[in-house]
Amino acid sequence: MVRPFKKDIDFLSHRRIFFAISLVLILISLVAIPLRGLNYGIEFVGGSSITFTDTGDIKTEEMRSAFEEAGVENPTIQTTTDATGTKGFIVRIASTDAAETYEFVSKAAETLKLDKDAEAPMITTVGPGWGAEVTRTSLIAFLVAIALIIIYMSIRFEYKMSISAILTLFHDLIIIVGIYAVFGREITPNVIAALLTIMGYSLYDTVVVFHRISDNVSTTKNHSFITVANHSINQVIVRTINTLLTSLVPVLAMLFFGGETLKDFAFAMAIGLVLGSYSSIALASPIFALWKQREPKYKKLYKKYGEGVGVFTTADNLQD
Amino acid sequence: MSDRRFKPKKKPGQSRNHVMLLTLLALLVATSFVLFMPPNESIKRGLDVQGGLSVILEAKKTDDKDPSSEEMTAARQIVERRVNLLGASEATVQVQGNNQLLVQIPGIVDQAQAVSTIGKTGVLHFVNVADLENKGAIEALESGVYVTDQEINRKLAFGDLKPNQILNANPDEQTGRVPMGIYTILDISGGGDEDSEGDSNYYQLISIDEKDYTPIFTGADITQVTVGLDNGVGPDYSVGLELNRTAAQAFKEVTTQLAPTKGKIAIVLDGAIQSAPAVQTIIGDGRVSITGNYGLKEADSLKTILQSGSLPVSLSVINAQVVGPTLGQESLMAGILVALIGLALVALYLLFFYKGIGLLTAAAVGVFAILYLGVLALLSSLGFFALSLAGIAGIVLSIGVAADSSILVLERFKEEIRMGRSVRAASQTGVWHAIKTSLDADFVTLISALALFFIAVGTVKGFGLTLAIGVVCDIITMILFKAPVVRLLAPRFIAKHPGFWGVKEDEEFALASGELNRGVANG
Repeated sequence: MVRPFKKDIDFLSHRRIFFAISLVLILISLVAIPLRGLNYGIEFVGGSSITFTDTGDIKTEEMRSAFEEAGVENPTIQTTTDATGTKGFIVRIASTDAAETYEFVSKAAETLKLDKDAEAPMITTVGPGWGAEVTRTSLIAFLVAIALIIIYMSIRFEYKMSISAILTLFHDLIIIVGIYAVFGREITPNVIAALLTIMGYSLYDTVVVFHRISDNVSTTKNHSFITVANHSINQVIVRTINTLLTSLVPVLAMLFFGGETLKDFAFAMAIGLVLGSYSSIALASPIFALWKQREPKYKKLYKKYGEGVGVFTTADNLQD
Repeated sequence: MSDRRFKPKKKPGQSRNHVMLLTLLALLVATSFVLFMPPNESIKRGLDVQGGLSVILEAKKTDDKDPSSEEMTAARQIVERRVNLLGASEATVQVQGNNQLLVQIPGIVDQAQAVSTIGKTGVLHFVNVADLENKGAIEALESGVYVTDQEINRKLAFGDLKPNQILNANPDEQTGRVPMGIYTILDISGGGDEDSEGDSNYYQLISIDEKDYTPIFTGADITQVTVGLDNGVGPDYSVGLELNRTAAQAFKEVTTQLAPTKGKIAIVLDGAIQSAPAVQTIIGDGRVSITGNYGLKEADSLKTILQSGSLPVSLSVINAQVVGPTLGQESLMAGILVALIGLALVALYLLFFYKGIGLLTAAAVGVFAILYLGVLALLSSLGFFALSLAGIAGIVLSIGVAADSSILVLERFKEEIRMGRSVRAASQTGVWHAIKTSLDADFVTLISALALFFIAVGTVKGFGLTLAIGVVCDIITMILFKAPVVRLLAPRFIAKHPGFWGVKEDEEFALASGELNRGVANG
C-alpha cells in the first residue's frame, strides 16, 4: 500500500538554525576576506604563469632555485597532479614582458634538464593594460548580467520574490568570496564567468520555489502561509536535488579529471551549485515566507494556525 | 473533486503535429551528423587546445588617441606580413575591439623570436649618418668600432659575455637577449664590476632620438624587398630595395652627395641603428642593394626589418600565451573524457531514478549532443568558432542545463499524475508547464552566457559562446523531441505499462489520495 501522503519534511521550522549557519558563514567570510586577502590571477594583475607537466621527480625547491638562478625574483611555485598521477608545476612570476618570460623559462628548463620540445610548458604572459581591461569587462559583464536577470525576474515575478532572491544571491556571493579567501584559491576571469552563470542558475531556482509557493497559496485556504511554503519546498525538492546532482556530476568529473583551466571553472561551479541549492531552500524560502506572512491576506491565517509549520493534509492543490 | 477532473479531449490533428515535429527533428539530427562527422576535423581547435602561440597586441597612436579603423587595418596587414615572414603559414591576425590585434600562430614556433618580431613597433627610417646629431653614434659608425646585436647574442650564448656588461639595453638586459641594433664598445678596464671576471668590455646600445635627424625616406616608401645572392654569385647575400618615386629622388640627391666620400646611411628601426652601409655609387633609379657579408639568415632578418614598413601606430604585447602541442592534446583529451563521463553518468542517473521515462531523457541527451556538435561544426566551418578549454567548460555546464530541463519535464509529468490526472492529460499540461519553466531557466542562463560573450574579453568569451549554444540546443531538443515524444507515447505506451515507465507509484498515490479526499469530504 502506498501511503497517500508522503510526510512533508519540516524545513521551515528549522529556519533559525539555517539563519544561524548563514550568519556564521558570512561572519567568517567578512573576517577572512580582509584578513587573508584575495589571490587574484595574473589575468587581473598582470604577470606570467608557466605550466609544466610531466616533470618527473623535480622538487618544488629545485623549481624555485632554477627560476631564481634565471633571474626571477620571488617566483610562486604550485605543484599539480593530474588524474593519471602525472606531476607538474605552475610557476607564477611578475614579468609582464613575453619575450623576457620565455628567456626565463628556457633558462630554468635548461637548469632542470627538462626536454624543451617534449614537455613544452604552457606560458601565459599578461601585460598590465590587458589586466585592467579584463577586470573592467568581467565586472561589467557580471553587473550587466545580474541587472538584466533581476529586471527580467521583476517583470516576470512579484517584487518580493526578486528581493528575497537577490538577498540570497548576495549571501551566496559573500560566502563564495570568503571561501576563496580562506582557501587562498586564485580568482581568475574563468572563476568570475563560472560564478556568474551559476548564480543566474540558482537565482532562477529560487524563483521556481517561490512560484510554487504562490501557486499553492492561491488554492489553499486552511493552512498558514509558512505551512504552504514548506509543502511547496517538499514538492520541488526532488527536482532541486536531481538538478543539483545532474549538474554537479559533470562538474565534479571536470574537477577531478580536467586540467588546470577546467579545474578553475569546476571549483567555482561546484561551490556555486551546492551553495545556491542550499540557500534557495534554507534562506530564500523562509525569508520570502516570513515576509509574505505579514501581508493582511495571510495575517488571518497566521493568527488562526499559529506560527508553527503545520502538516499538509490535502492533495487538492492542482493548478493549471 | 480533483480526481480525473481533466478529461482530455482527443484532437485528431495532434499526433500528426507531433510526428511532424519529430520528422523535422530527424532532419536536423541527420544534418548535424553530416556536419560534424568526423568530429576531429569538423570542429576547429583553439590554440590552447591545438598548441601554438597567441598574442594580443594593443595599438596606440603617439598622441594617445585610439587609432581609426583604417589604421587598424593597416596595422593588421603589416603584422600579418611579419607573421608570414616567420614562416607560419596558418597564422591569423584579427582586429579585436577598437585597438587590439589578436595574432594566432598554431604549431611550434620560436616564441621569443616571434613575440619580438610581431611586437616590433617598426618605425623605419633611412638617415644620412652625417646628419645625425648624436656624436657618439657618428663616431662609432665612422670608425667602425661597433658590434651588432647578433654578435652580442652569440657571445652571450657562449658565455663570453655577461648580461650586466650590456648597458642601455632595457628591457631585455636580464634575459641576455639584446634588442636589435648596434652597440658601441665602452672600455672600462680596471674599475669594472667584480662580476665581469676580467672581461673589461662593456657594450652600449646606440639609440637615437627621432628629433636628432631628418629621415631621407621612411619604411612606407619601400615598395619591394628581396633577398638574393650578392652580385648573383654569392657566397654572400644581399638585400634589394625598391623605392617609390619621391624617395628615389631624395635618395638620388643624398647618394650624389655621399658617394665620393663613401658616406654612410643608417637604417634606423625604432630609434636603434640596425645597420649603416656605406654608399658606393650614386643611385638614381630607386633600386637599392644592401651588401655586407650577409649570410642568408642575416639577410632575411634585415629583410624583415625593412618590410616592417612604417606602422601608423605603435604596438605593444599585452597578452601572450604559448601552449605545447602535447599539453594541448592532453587537455583536449581530458576535456572530452570529462564531457563523456558527465553525459554517461547523467544518463545513467536519469535511467535509474526515472526508470522507463528516463530512457526518453537519455535519448534526449543523445539528440542534444548531436545537435550541439552539429551547430559547433557549422559555426566552426564559418570561422566563428574554435574549441578552447574555456569552451569545454561551457559544454560540460550545458550538459547540466540539458539534464535540468529533462528533469523538469519528468517531475512535472509525474507530479500531475500524482495529482490525479490521467497519463495522457499529464503529458499535455505537465509538459507544457515544464517547458514554460525551462524556458525561463534557459533564458536566465542565456543572459549570463551572452553577457560574457559580448562584454567580457579573453578566454571567457569561448565559455559564454558554448554555453549559449548549449542552451539554444536544449530549447530545440525540448520543443522538437521531449514534448512530442512524451505526448505521443503517453496514451499508447506509458498509460498501458505504468510499471515499466516508472509512473505506477504516482498513479497509486493519486488513487489513494483521491479516496482519502472523498473520505474527508463525506465524513
